Parts: sequence; structure tokens; C-alpha cells
Amino acid sequence: MTPVNFPLPNVVPLIPEMFVATMAMFILMLDLFLAKEKKVWGGYLAILTCVAAGGLTLMVGSAESVSAFYGFFVLDAFSSYAKLLIYAGTALAVILSLDYIKEEFGVGEYYTLMLFAMLGMMIMASAPNFVTMYLGLELMALCTYVLVGFQRDVLRSSEAGLKYFILGSLASGFLLYGISFLYGVTGSFDFATVGSGIAHSGSGARFAVLLGLVFVIAGLAFKISLAPFHMWTPDAYEGAPTPITAFMSVAPKVAGLVILIRVLVDALPSLQVEYITIFSWLAVLSMAVGNLAAIAQRNIKRMLAYSTIGHVGFIMLGVIAGNADGYAGVLVYMTIYLFMSMGAFAVIVLMNREGIQGELLDDFAGLSKVRPGYALAMGLYLFSLAGIPFLGGFWAKYVVFIAAIESGHLYLAIIALLFSVVGAFYYIRVVKYIYFDDQRVEFNFVENRLMQATVAVTAVAVVAIGIFPQPVINICKAALGGII
Amino acid sequence: MLELGFFYLFAGLAVVSALGVVLSRNTIHAVMFLIFCFFNAAGLFFLLDAEFIGIILILIYVGAVMVLFMFVVMMLEVNFAKLREGMLQYLPLGGIIALVLFIEIIAAAGSGVFSPEGIPDPGHAAQQVNNTVEIGKMLYTKYLLGFEIAALILLVALVGAIVLTLRTRKDAKYQNISRQVNVRPEDRMYKVKM
Repeated sequence: MTPVNFPLPNVVPLIPEMFVATMAMFILMLDLFLAKEKKVWGGYLAILTCVAAGGLTLMVGSAESVSAFYGFFVLDAFSSYAKLLIYAGTALAVILSLDYIKEEFGVGEYYTLMLFAMLGMMIMASAPNFVTMYLGLELMALCTYVLVGFQRDVLRSSEAGLKYFILGSLASGFLLYGISFLYGVTGSFDFATVGSGIAHSGSGARFAVLLGLVFVIAGLAFKISLAPFHMWTPDAYEGAPTPITAFMSVAPKVAGLVILIRVLVDALPSLQVEYITIFSWLAVLSMAVGNLAAIAQRNIKRMLAYSTIGHVGFIMLGVIAGNADGYAGVLVYMTIYLFMSMGAFAVIVLMNREGIQGELLDDFAGLSKVRPGYALAMGLYLFSLAGIPFLGGFWAKYVVFIAAIESGHLYLAIIALLFSVVGAFYYIRVVKYIYFDDQRVEFNFVENRLMQATVAVTAVAVVAIGIFPQPVINICKAALGGII
Repeated sequence: MLELGFFYLFAGLAVVSALGVVLSRNTIHAVMFLIFCFFNAAGLFFLLDAEFIGIILILIYVGAVMVLFMFVVMMLEVNFAKLREGMLQYLPLGGIIALVLFIEIIAAAGSGVFSPEGIPDPGHAAQQVNNTVEIGKMLYTKYLLGFEIAALILLVALVGAIVLTLRTRKDAKYQNISRQVNVRPEDRMYKVKM
């Protein structure tokens, strides 16, 4: 047998990924040697890992795109920015977990799984190739299935985990089936090669290509909970431990949207007309389902789940616009949504009392009299989510709406505007509970400095971005380097 | 000619056994049909000179995964008649979607892209090549990143399965072997002054 030469690939662009993987395994080992009351160190270490990974990403990142591992990994401004958002989302979710999860069994595994989920998202953000994309997606999904069902003694947590797992596997099957069609036509997994292959394939291949497109869109739409592939979202959000709900509402959405944009821009540019038609319908459906169904919810986690579906519908306007402004709008939206959503969930986690969280809308009644600070912060997040001017959420909507109008989708922007008015109703209803109703339940707040700091930081960020949106918009536009 | 005959034999049996999986009422029979289906798929791989994948399919899927299926089916008493109850209710909508999808797939498959004429016959080019060596070379060079991520996925699956199933119950009595070994006579027996 001839000896085989193994050339060592360029590993420098993957330093953040390797660091996170090592730290995740280290926390898994460390947890075995920690006493029960010191288990929380794993969480602090996970936060440090996110911060350090951010530093490493800024260090290895560059303006031009660097490819590594035979074109199976790409590092560009787009992926670097997405990774920074993912780190922020994960770090905040870990902070929310510190107090929440400490009584549970398997604290170390919990943080390990969160870091591995983050690793999966990082790989997705850097995937120039269907193989890397799918593996990253599965790494992320597998961790989130377990995390959703983490509270095994709570029936609805197990139920949510199982539901999410079964529907998620089905969506993965759709995605793979679609990829197999695209591979069959073009003979490649590489996004760019698939793109040129589709452009040069004759009209005979058109049907197979369209079928591949539809299945790939269905698979990815599931991950970002775009209607009609949103069915798992309310149940999974309600059943999951609240910090995991916060985590799922931001980080996987960033990764999913980033990989969706990359697939559309690199692999399917010649099908732009077709996919814009599909996404227009999905966006309208998503806005309708999200904003109308949220009105009927009494549980705030379920309400925020439908709110996420609605927001994903708004975000899709940026994808539908199909130009640099639109994609930058998606990043702006996700950046601002990160703060709003994390902040709102932080207040929900803080209201945890004796195993029952402040989960029903009624529980928020009279909050302003007990804790005016939390009430103010919650009010700011909710107004921002509703898109009230001069808070962060307004600019998020503004950027994608303008992008949609300028690319000639005026009707979509009008529909989106109508639905955001509908959405404002149920957000402001919670504000009414907080400020104008009498207290109905005894509040029992978790006192945790880091979590209180999270509330303060996210509230300040929502206001600051609302007053000075331009820096965020500029950074997001610069982050499109390497994709367009 | 012989090869063609074998192809139709394996392919036909695979389709028939796959139908058997879906249609048989007895779950054990369904699992058996699935095993048979995997054997036939392995046969198809052998016809393509992909002996490594064929053997892997038999070893892992038939040898490990299906045995696990068998255990699960035997240990869980699932009432499948009850699971089928809602079927008629969902049949119209589900049936329409399935039919549309089926037509689309047939149209895509029949559009000529995947026809034997479109894809050149490699003959038996792989006959002189050691599949296992070539797959190994590709896996550890070009697909190294994917290979490593797959390893992490396996680790996560392992950790996840343990997290979701292992619980130390407070009310259960556990053996502490080191305490048992280190036990002294004084611990078990003491003199009582009468």
C-alpha cells in the first residue's frame, strides 16, 4: 500500500471554533470535579468562553474572505459579524441560566451543550458548502433538542423536546432531500459551483432544480420558524427552560438567516425570481400567523413565540429585497432583536417564583408598583418590539421596510405595516398590565447581579440604538463584505 | 445481462419490502421487512462496486440499528391501531399534498437530468480500486472538517442521551462498593454489656 500524504490544512481561520470546542469539553470534564454549590463556575467559564471567542474572532477576522479546509470553511466579514451576534446571544442566555438551572441535575452538561450549540451556529455562519452547513445545523439542532427537554421532570419540557426533535428531524430530511436534487443537477456541494451549475443547466433540469429549491427553503424555513413551518415554535418555547427559550429566539435565528442568505446569494442567484415569490407568500403568512395568534395567548412565553414568528416575517422583507440594503437590514434587525428579546426574557426569568415563573400575562399586573426599574425596562422592550419610533425596534423595521419598498415591493411593505400595527396591540396590552393594573400575585424576584446588569445593558442598548441607529447600520453594511 | 438481472432483482425486492414496512400491521414484520430492504440496498451498492458502503450498510444498519429497533418494538407496547385513529381525518389534505409531491418528484426524476443517458456509465472502473483506502484518504484530507464536526455531533449525542436519561434518585438505595470493602468488624458488631 502506498503511504498517504496528509497535508495539514490552514487552521488559523478556525481558531475560534477550535477554542469553543475545547472549552466545551473542558467544562464537561471540570464539572465532574466541582462540588454541588460550585457548579455555577461552569456557567462563568461559558460566559468567558463567549467573550474570548469574540476576541479571537475579531483577531483572525479580515475584510476579505479567507477559505480553509479545501473550501469547506470560509471566514469573511459576514460570518464574523454573525458570530459576534451568536456569541452575544449565547453569553446572555448563559447569564440568564446561572440562577435558573443551578438546582437541576447535570449543570455542567447544560453549559457544554449550550457551547456546542453555539459551535454549530458558528460553523453554519462560516459554511460555504452544503456539507458544512448541514453538519453545523445538526450540531446546533441536536444540542437544542436536548436543552429544550432538559427539565425531564417537567412534563411539558419533555413533550416540547420530543415534538421539536421529531419535527426537526423531518425538516432535516426535507433539507437533505432538496440538497440531493441540487447535487444531482450540478454534481457539487459547493455553493458557488452549485450556483454556476444551475445557471448553466438547461431548461430540462429546471424542474429538478425548482424541487431542490423548494425543499431547501422548507428545511431552512423550519429552523427560522417561518410560517407555515412554525408549528413547533409555540410548544417548544413554552416547554423549554426560559433561558433556553431566550437562546432559541435569537442565536439559532441568526445562524439560520445567515446561512439562508448565503445559500440564496451564492448557490441560487439564478432562481431569484422564483424564491422571491415563495418568500413573499411565506413572509405574509408568517406576519399574519405571528401577529394574529399572539393576541389570543395568555402565556407570555407563547406570546413571544408567536411574536418571533411575526418578526421573522418582517425580517424576510430584507431577504425579499434581495440587495445589499436588504441583507444589511436583516443583520440590523437581528442585532436589535437580540437586545429586545434577551431583555424581555431576562425580566421573565427574574420573576421566577417557587418553580412557577412569571409566565402568565396576569402575573405582570402591577409590576410597576413593586419594581419600577424592571417595569420600565420591560416597557421599553415591549414598545421597541412593537416598533414605536425612537426605540431600537423602530429602526429595525424601518431599514427592512425601506429596503423592500426601494426594491419594488411596496405592497409587501404596506401589509407588513398593517401587521405591525396589529402587533403593537398585544405588546402594549402587556404594558397596560404592568402600569395600570393592580398587583394580583405576590412577586418573588431572583436577586442576581449579572442578570440585573443584563436587564440594564439591554434596556440601555435598545434606547441608545433608537437614538443613534447609524453606527449599527454602518457596521452591518460593512459586514456584508465577502457575501456581495 | 446477468448484472441487469441482479439489478432488477435487488431493486424490485427493495421496493416490495419497503411497501411491506409501511403496510404490514405487525410491527415485528415491519422491522423484518426493513432489514430485508437494507440487504437489497446493500446488494445494489455491491453492483456499483461500492463494497465498503454495502458492507457498512449491513454491519451498522442491519447489525446494530435494526437490532435496536427490534428491542424498542419488543419493549414498548405501542398500540398502533390507536395511532391510526386520526388517519381518516388527515387523509384528504395529507393525501393531496402527497399526490402533488409525488407528481413533482416523478416529473423531476423524469426530466432527463437523472436519466442513464445523462450520466455516463463508469463501467467497472472501481474494480481495481480499494474502496476502503480511497474513502479513508478523502475523509482525512478533503472532508476532514466535516469528519471532525461529525465526531463532535456524536459526542453531543452521547452527552445528550445521558443527560436526558440518567437520574440519580434520592429515594433509591445504591451500593457503595468502597465502603463495603473498607468495612471493619467494629462497624457491624459491637459488644453489649449485660
